[in-house]
Amino acid sequence: MDIILGIRLKESTLFATSKAFTRGISVLKATDDKTIDLNTHNMMAYTGESGDTTQFAEHIKANVQLFGLREGYDMESSEIASFVRNQLATSLRSRKPYQVQVLIGGANNEGEGFLSMIDYLGTRCDLPYAAHGYAAFYTMSLLDHHYKDDISLDDGLRLLKLCEEELTKRMPMDFKGLNVKIVDKEGIRTIDF
Amino acid sequence: MSINQIASKYAYKSTVNQELTDYNSTFSPITTSIDNLSPLISIPPINQPTDFLRAHTDDETNPDCSIKIAHGTTTLAFRFKGGIIVAVDSRATAGNWIASQTVKKVIEINPMLLGTMAGGAADCQYWETWLGTQCRLHELRNKERITVAAASKILSNLVYNYKGMGLSMGTMVCGCTPKEGPTIYYVDSDGTRLKGDIFCVGSGQTFAYGVLDSNYKWDLTVDEALYLGKRSILAAAHRDAYSGGSINLYHITEEGWNYHGNYDVGPLFWEIKEKEGSFNNVKG
Amino acid sequence: MSRRYDSRTTIFSPEGRLYQVEYALEAINHAGTAIGIMAKDGIAIVAERKVTSKLLEQDSSAEKMYILNENTLCGVAGMTADAGILINYIRESSQEYLKIYNKEPPLEHIVKHVCNLKQGYTQYGGLRPFGVSFLFAGYDDRFGFQLYTSNPSGNYSGWKATSIGANNSSAQTILKQEYKDDLDLEDAKKLALKVLSKTTDSTKLTSEKVEFSTVSLASNGHVQLKIWKPEEIDKLLQESGVLEDTEEDK
Repeated sequence: MDIILGIRLKESTLFATSKAFTRGISVLKATDDKTIDLNTHNMMAYTGESGDTTQFAEHIKANVQLFGLREGYDMESSEIASFVRNQLATSLRSRKPYQVQVLIGGANNEGEGFLSMIDYLGTRCDLPYAAHGYAAFYTMSLLDHHYKDDISLDDGLRLLKLCEEELTKRMPMDFKGLNVKIVDKEGIRTIDF
Repeated sequence: MSINQIASKYAYKSTVNQELTDYNSTFSPITTSIDNLSPLISIPPINQPTDFLRAHTDDETNPDCSIKIAHGTTTLAFRFKGGIIVAVDSRATAGNWIASQTVKKVIEINPMLLGTMAGGAADCQYWETWLGTQCRLHELRNKERITVAAASKILSNLVYNYKGMGLSMGTMVCGCTPKEGPTIYYVDSDGTRLKGDIFCVGSGQTFAYGVLDSNYKWDLTVDEALYLGKRSILAAAHRDAYSGGSINLYHITEEGWNYHGNYDVGPLFWEIKEKEGSFNNVKG
Repeated sequence: MSRRYDSRTTIFSPEGRLYQVEYALEAINHAGTAIGIMAKDGIAIVAERKVTSKLLEQDSSAEKMYILNENTLCGVAGMTADAGILINYIRESSQEYLKIYNKEPPLEHIVKHVCNLKQGYTQYGGLRPFGVSFLFAGYDDRFGFQLYTSNPSGNYSGWKATSIGANNSSAQTILKQEYKDDLDLEDAKKLALKVLSKTTDSTKLTSEKVEFSTVSLASNGHVQLKIWKPEEIDKLLQESGVLEDTEEDK
């Protein structure tokens, strides 16, 4: 089961996704990236049915980019979250729905962090921290315990380290480490973690 | 054209897919969307093609099923200093029946690209041959050889269109282009597409991974690499009942692929056992 | 020569003209005037309603001013029936946008969008163009107050002050002279009525002949769209002093 984790901070949003790509009983890839950059200040982490995940992510990215070209300005986080929810809700009522769960995050125009969690049913929830899959069972209690509003980037990263340690210790399968990305007013960047 | 038709033609469209549909219907002769790329395949007039297929082809739950699809394979491909090695077995099974020991599981898409075959033999053969056509058309249209990334994406988009309708493929698209260097993409019928250095696909994948991972180095010589590919398939052929027959070996460089022969697993086993002093579980 | 080409909207004449589109533009040049003026704190739109007969029951509701969504309204010059189709289309697509993005569409977005539809009618076979020009007035977070016009060809443009319909060129001449960048909404309202009174063919402006609307921001920052009632328009006409002006001019 993939780990998809997001933490909203005061002036940024953190994403952590597992690097293992598992098919059946084999890990086919240990450097997988389960995130996609949608525009300069927004990204999406995804998990779910294989095939659907990347197809859906690329579909969303294409539309976010198209919006930017047409309207002359980039979509902001809340608009993207609404759009993605609408796409999933539409897809759910089609012959073959996308079975994808996502976290959308970024830095909005005011430079504040933003995080939204959407599942394949089109349930959307804007949250300070969120996770999909089994990772939620291990990390939510930790985050409930330590998270505070207006948390700084350094404190956010320390909190994420705590989550990683717990996951490594208790998850039954090796998830090959975490891919960590930060989005703030400077844009999106990957960091060594 | 009624007002409603006009309005719906210009009505709010939010997705690129719909845009492309419109675009294609206007300019179809010159675009190369998936619609135009893929031939039309009729789907049986039943509610759930998947359920139908399972009911008539799954010999595990129903040994008397009327259609037995050829399954079971070991294929591998890996990147190293000297290019790419592709090695496969040659056994086709239909249920417990060995349908053939001489299947060609490497599909020579064109002189630069190889595809491997695991899962439904017909599916792989058909769509990878079709992929060859698309690659040739790309060359003619763009006066440039297609990249492995683009070729594998054509295939993965195609299989994604048929997702849930019973296609069964696990394939590696391997090749070498000036832009990318030696490149391997894993593409399967779920629509997964992964770039990587080492892949083993099929029922014997775990056995092949075992040998391959433990002996793999980037700096392998070509001869060492060819031997490692052959040895990894042999390991799978030995342990996996659904893999066997003979081994086909390929090497890919900037100049294209080279065939490095067919090795019958029977004699090869004894030869390697004697040479390596391995396979000591077998007394002979 | 034109007879071979003017029955087909989709075909260029040898001189490179689209007659049906030109006829539609001409039709609007005979329709009631609509004038829009953008001030720093709002926009005023005024339009002239042509009364065809004294016996005609006067509908007190506005027929040339329409609210399109939470932050946009428009004035119409041309065929009201055609406008109805387009206004319905804009309202629906605005709601669709709101549904998808949970945000009111930017003003230029809906202008562009309805212009795409208009353009389609100058190209696809067997159709006639929409005989309508619009004045769009609205507010969005990015560009603040904005005023646009669109015409049957599907072109649109943004303005500080402009006019469509009959006598639009003389109206624009006056606007060019009288418009100042530091105008506030009160000035804009008066100027709009003044320009209308000077360019209209009718002798005296009354609420029967005038429609009026404004866009402004409420104290809480929300966009305020107002289509003025006949009594309010009469009062405004009195206060603005245009009634005396017209008397003097005559």
